[in-house]
Amino acid sequence: MSTEVTSTNPIYGPFFGVMGAASAIIFSALGAAYGTAKSGTGIAAMSVMRPELIMKSIIPVVMAGIIAIYGLVVAVLIAGALEEPSKYPLYRGFIHLGAGLAVGFSGLAAGFAIGIVGDAGVRGTAQQPRLFVGMILILIFAEVLGLYGLIVAIYLYTK
Amino acid sequence: MSNKTKKSTGGNGGGLKQGRQQSHDSQDYSSFKTVLYYCMLIVFLPVLTFFVLKGFVLDRFLDISEVKVNIAAAVGAVVSLHIALALYIYRAYFGASGSKASKAD
Repeated sequence: MSTEVTSTNPIYGPFFGVMGAASAIIFSALGAAYGTAKSGTGIAAMSVMRPELIMKSIIPVVMAGIIAIYGLVVAVLIAGALEEPSKYPLYRGFIHLGAGLAVGFSGLAAGFAIGIVGDAGVRGTAQQPRLFVGMILILIFAEVLGLYGLIVAIYLYTK
Repeated sequence: MSNKTKKSTGGNGGGLKQGRQQSHDSQDYSSFKTVLYYCMLIVFLPVLTFFVLKGFVLDRFLDISEVKVNIAAAVGAVVSLHIALALYIYRAYFGASGSKASKAD
């Protein structure tokens, strides 16, 4: 095994790629966990009086879970492209770090938005069922923020 | 006479209460089954799609590069995920209104 370590392929090149894969899943999972917990408190408070609405009110939790799947997809993509330093230029490490941070922080922001909207929306839906359509629309717009991060991450990954 | 009537109405009320309890239980069970089914679909369908698409596309078209195979698998996984989510929202919106109407009595 010939370890050709040059200035374009330094020994620390894969470090950036590994950090990209880790930050993709860490920050996405952080956002998804916040979204699940915050909307979960809303569901628990609402279900005491209106238990028949549980199926409708699970939607914010599902959408928060999808944020984590975005991070998982990018982390698996980056982890599959990691190589030993001689075949992994520093440039690719930077690209992968950027892709991981893009989906990670977008997922964190989307998870915060889903949590807050889910909490207030589920509590409001229990009192006014016509709010449900509005809650779904706001949740979809929050979800799309994470999807934008995923698109940028995949676009970076193809460079 | 009055005592007998009272007793019979009391027994009838108890039966009604038990029946309502049973109907609540079966309703809860059916809604739990539906939620579990869609949650499993949303969690496992994209993971399955990703790896199946990756293996399948790699087997079929070996001439395209691995990066493109990965991208195709990732896009396919995300698309299947959103289809499953759309099915769940559709079911929650239209299925829940039917169960609410049956509950109104």
